[in-house]
Amino acid sequence: MKEHEMIVQLSIPADAQFLDIARLTLYGLAAKMGFSYEEIEDMKVAVSEACNNVVLHAYNGRSGDIHLRFEMSADALSIVIKDEGKGFDYERAAKQAASLSGKPLKDVKVGGLGLFLMEALMDDVRVTTKGGTEVRLTKFRHHGEGEHAHDCISPSSVQEQA
Amino acid sequence: MDQKRFHLVHDEQPDRHVVYIKGELDLAAAEQFQRTVEPLASDASKPLVLRLEDLTYIDSTGIGMFVALLKTRHQLGAPFAIENVPPKVRRLFDLTGVSYFFSEMNDATERIGGQS
Repeated sequence: MKEHEMIVQLSIPADAQFLDIARLTLYGLAAKMGFSYEEIEDMKVAVSEACNNVVLHAYNGRSGDIHLRFEMSADALSIVIKDEGKGFDYERAAKQAASLSGKPLKDVKVGGLGLFLMEALMDDVRVTTKGGTEVRLTKFRHHGEGEHAHDCISPSSVQEQA
Repeated sequence: MDQKRFHLVHDEQPDRHVVYIKGELDLAAAEQFQRTVEPLASDASKPLVLRLEDLTYIDSTGIGMFVALLKTRHQLGAPFAIENVPPKVRRLFDLTGVSYFFSEMNDATERIGGQS
């Protein structure tokens, strides 16, 4: 399945002003692969959420990098977002990852929204925290399906490696 | 590229504050957004309206700031509305559940508007 995988890599400083560069790169590659406008918009948000976490949490105000790796295969695009920071507590964040619907406004907390969106917008999300954090986001290509691709939202697959 | 560049236009009308949000509201734009909109949000004397027709990108950073504004306006008992939400932004509001709070606040805006 992965025989013709092609890889593009990009490293940017973990600084918010470079997040648009990550989105532009993603847009270029996903469009080249034939993903739809909606799918690309979904992936832009998911990748940005992973990068936001690096900018906000990974390096404690010290300088560091975000490493993006775009793995293009015939049936999927995977984006790996990696840092060498202190290791974001994704397991704890995963417990808070939920939509805000049905809650009274005063109880609404937005802390878990980033991870929630990653899971809602991608087909697969895997997180490993070992020597930094690595988030692997995958979108499968839905060849010629009339159905809306967003119907297949994968269940939470956040894992923590000891 | 210009379409992506984030900027805000504040239109102070006699009966309300209108803020046009243009371009990509991401983490890089968060500070500018807060600097401009927070002072307006604390002015309870006028309704606050955010116009989103030229908003080309939003993620949890922007949604979180919208929720903070909702809370501030709710505490002040002051009307707050968003208008002209593009479909892709609407989809994220629906997914995250913030649409529910906006429709509630929009109703309040309409009620207050109707009293004048």
